[in-house]
Amino acid sequence: MQDFEDFVALRSQALLRTAYLLCGGDKGAAEDILQDVLMSMYGKWRRIRTSPEAYARTALANAAANRWRRRARKPEAPLDLGAVPTSRGHEEHVVDADSVVRALAQLPKKMRAVLVLRFFDDLSEAETARTLGCGVGTVKSQTSRGLARMRELMGEQVLTWN
Amino acid sequence: MELKEAMETATAELDVRPGFVGDVMAGARRRHTRKLLAVTAAVALLAGVTSGVVLTRSSSEPPLADDVRLTAAIGGDLADQTEFIQQSLTAWTKGTAVGDLVTEVSPDAHVFWAGNTQDGRVSLIAQSVRVPSYTKPQTLVGLVRDDTVVDQEIVYKGAREQGIYRLGSDENATYVVLSLGQKVFWSVSPVRGQDLRYSRKWHEASFHDGVAVVSAKPTEKPVFIRTDNGPPADDVNRVGERILPRQEMEQQKVMQPHTGLGWRDVMWASARQEPSRPGSSADKLVAEDLMRRGYLDYDTPYLLWEVRAWLPDGRFAVVTETNDELVGALYQPDGTFDRVLPGGPW
Repeated sequence: MQDFEDFVALRSQALLRTAYLLCGGDKGAAEDILQDVLMSMYGKWRRIRTSPEAYARTALANAAANRWRRRARKPEAPLDLGAVPTSRGHEEHVVDADSVVRALAQLPKKMRAVLVLRFFDDLSEAETARTLGCGVGTVKSQTSRGLARMRELMGEQVLTWN
Repeated sequence: MELKEAMETATAELDVRPGFVGDVMAGARRRHTRKLLAVTAAVALLAGVTSGVVLTRSSSEPPLADDVRLTAAIGGDLADQTEFIQQSLTAWTKGTAVGDLVTEVSPDAHVFWAGNTQDGRVSLIAQSVRVPSYTKPQTLVGLVRDDTVVDQEIVYKGAREQGIYRLGSDENATYVVLSLGQKVFWSVSPVRGQDLRYSRKWHEASFHDGVAVVSAKPTEKPVFIRTDNGPPADDVNRVGERILPRQEMEQQKVMQPHTGLGWRDVMWASARQEPSRPGSSADKLVAEDLMRRGYLDYDTPYLLWEVRAWLPDGRFAVVTETNDELVGALYQPDGTFDRVLPGGPW
């Protein structure tokens, strides 16, 4: 299983970043679900070794969604989702980075997952649909609404996409 | 700032904690060992009461999907052309790659329909395959023309199948459509009426052995709908499930955020900005609403800018662009749609 260990060593950082965005900026949760997903992949490695990254992304999206379902059932202190800062100063990039995560955290989980997979992981609409187990039409509409919502949430920090 | 760039900046400093890889490996091995012990115990328990039962799948066993097309009698006017069918299967085998999407193929590839079209002899083939993330085998379905695989689709159990393939050129195309137990209606050349709404004339596809062959010009905007009931003539896109061949699906993938005026913002033209939308559909784009009401045809991309205003009389107005022209929409204060206002070309 050396190749599994290599995969974990080489890809954990990238997958953690995806998980972090899927979890709306909760690093602890992102690390937890990533560890859980990677551990579950060990026993299935022979079957998934040809495309472990795709498997991991699907599992992370599911785990992030289930995490939110569990959170929804369990009363917890709400995340600090205050107003998105829109001031621009010498630490503009820090403000932008912080606000994009805050804005993502305010999106419904599926909409957030669509934007993360499409624009952070560069998946096509079809690949995103396959990863999330939904139709391409859903991906298109969630992308459209998600981008519009992000622009609303981020105020003057206008986002573009290509 | 681009969304991707913003996300990358937001995660640039992130890395796993020291010892993470070791923790994963140790935890994975522990979990795997516990699972093996549990399986062994279950097997031992069952072995006491059962004999000759195979509990685990042999790794050499080919995947077998649960799809009637894998064993169906061959349909189509070339069903008895055994040489052509064998040629199709050879092309299929050669053109089916094992990789990221398909991890294992079964030797059960089967032609379930073969026929003539104006773009050549084609056959439809099904085959059991293994795919990532699914424990059970799924079905790979596709179309071969002469000795070339034109397209393939993985049909996930319980998921929607497109079941439509396009041959020919952009000027004249042949669509090979599967019934999948439903009716299929198709339409070309949408008509825009005086009221600015679109309408289409729908034709029911004629199936023989579960397959219809339809000729249409892609430039005339053909649309195919799989449904149990035919859509009414004035219903542009509300009834049934639109099915798209891969070429047209690929075209839809391309985002076009810079069309028309190139704006991408929600802007306000009135001091009052609350609520941001009337009624309860706070997150709905006006373009979606206009599409639902028939003011946009299929394939019109959602446009992501709006100028909104609450009018002095309490109504809500919104302006956007579509079909290469400006369009306005008026809503009552409670969110009831009032009317569309043509704004002319920009």
